[in-house]
Amino acid sequence: MNISLFNQMIKLNMKNFLIFGFGSALYVVLMTSLYPMFAENAEAINELIKIIPETLKNALGFDSLTSYGGFISAEYFGLFFPIILGVFSVMTATQLLAHLVDKGSMAYLLSTKVSRTQIAFTQALVLISGLLFIVLLTFLGGIVAGEMLIDDQTSLEFNTFFHICLVGFLLFFVVGGYSFLVSSLCNDEKKSLGIAAALTFIFYGLDMAGKISSDFEWLRNITPFSLYNPSGIASGDAEIFIPSFILLGIGFFNYSAAVVVFKLRNLPL
Amino acid sequence: MIQIQGLTQQFSNGRGIFDVTFEVEKGEVFGFLGPNGAGKSTTIRHLMGYMKPQKGTAIIHGFNTWEQQEKAREKVGYLPGEISFLDGMNGLEFINLMAGMQGLKDKKRRNELIERLQLEPKTPFRKMSKGMKQKVGIVVTFMHNPEIYILDEPTSGLDPLMQKVFIDLVLEEKAKGKTFIMSSHSFAEIERTCDRAAIIKDGRIVTVKNINDLQYMQRKIYDITLENKNDVEKIKESNLIIENTNDNVVRIVVQGDYNELIEELSKFNVINISIISQSLEDIFMNYYDTKVAVK
Repeated sequence: MNISLFNQMIKLNMKNFLIFGFGSALYVVLMTSLYPMFAENAEAINELIKIIPETLKNALGFDSLTSYGGFISAEYFGLFFPIILGVFSVMTATQLLAHLVDKGSMAYLLSTKVSRTQIAFTQALVLISGLLFIVLLTFLGGIVAGEMLIDDQTSLEFNTFFHICLVGFLLFFVVGGYSFLVSSLCNDEKKSLGIAAALTFIFYGLDMAGKISSDFEWLRNITPFSLYNPSGIASGDAEIFIPSFILLGIGFFNYSAAVVVFKLRNLPL
Repeated sequence: MIQIQGLTQQFSNGRGIFDVTFEVEKGEVFGFLGPNGAGKSTTIRHLMGYMKPQKGTAIIHGFNTWEQQEKAREKVGYLPGEISFLDGMNGLEFINLMAGMQGLKDKKRRNELIERLQLEPKTPFRKMSKGMKQKVGIVVTFMHNPEIYILDEPTSGLDPLMQKVFIDLVLEEKAKGKTFIMSSHSFAEIERTCDRAAIIKDGRIVTVKNINDLQYMQRKIYDITLENKNDVEKIKESNLIIENTNDNVVRIVVQGDYNELIEELSKFNVINISIISQSLEDIFMNYYDTKVAVK
């Protein structure tokens, strides 16, 4: 990796890191602050939830809304968190390679003794740092808000919350990974953005479809999103170690492939 | 210093470069001339390791520019033809980024260049004119004191004053024994600095020659305004190649031999001489056209 490039890239992307990071943290705080009101009317809400078909409840993770853990994992970690992090991953991955190749600025970065491998590796680190930063802010936001706004009895354990964030991070480590691979393959920025976004949308959709109908349950085997189950982690039902390990593996594979592709291909600079 | 041997890269649209071969010696300033789209930039991109040659090799300093690209680039200062910087940065930030990537610590040369080019480095890129961006590019190319300079259309966007500063800079570096390869679509731009030049057309090298030989080969067109209209008829009888006449203006084509023109014109009262600017093809039209017939 090249430290000058890393520092400058972090600096250039810091605005996005902060916007997405604080956005996500703020959302957690907001949702957390809604929970006490929610808990007071738990009965009425449970009645309401009964009306929702079972399958849809599964898809949205509404099966355990009565606890704070169930609430926050359904309302935030199952819904907005993937959207925020998905947008960030796809956008930033495109920005870090395809954009520079498309615009031609990569010619400057590749005019020194710094190798293509080092450049791709550095850019991957920038993306991963960004993801880590955003998830960290989300985690801190959730912990602080939970501490201040939620009764100790219903609050989520520190470890459980940490696990949700960890697996969440690893999922977007993977999303960032394939987006980065797409970005390293594309000469055209818009194409890179389009393909990565479409892939993410499809993977997310496959997970949803698999949850809604048991006929399509097999679909969940081909999407990384099924390895991330915040409601399951909150209720203590979900396995953490194996999915994390698989996500980590897929992620590493994607970033490595991206570096190799970037090293070997012709660049239109 | 630079060896290009049989370099070939054909693109899907049929264009590209074909069997490009030439060498640049240490301490030489080598011009690379051709009209737009002839393959100058494509050749240079191979030197920078951006493309894998379909055939042939390019070697800088003993390193293959594809297989050992980062080693080949180590002692190179490169000025890309198309200026495109990173958005959201200012000139100084970019210069510092590049200095970091070049492993450059000493800021003396950098500051000297900024001053000489009268660059205001803290201007954000989005507020920079083309010329200012080109200056940033020149600072980045020259500041780490490279052995070899690869410059793609270096003076585009610079005003005449800055072009002069740039040429001085090149000549200074040349005096230090540095090697240059400089592309251009204008002969006038490179004849002031280059020792030798290659002319490329439709992806193939047409000729590699000394600048003096090229100067002799080039075809120039002058519009001569004569005071006396009757002289127009007289001048027509001379051996000069006359393209056309318009009232008392005679358009004369000269290639190589200027004495005849001077001798002939001295007989008349000339009130104006102007040179007609021409494209590269026109300058070497004779050469392009007659090359096959003569050889």
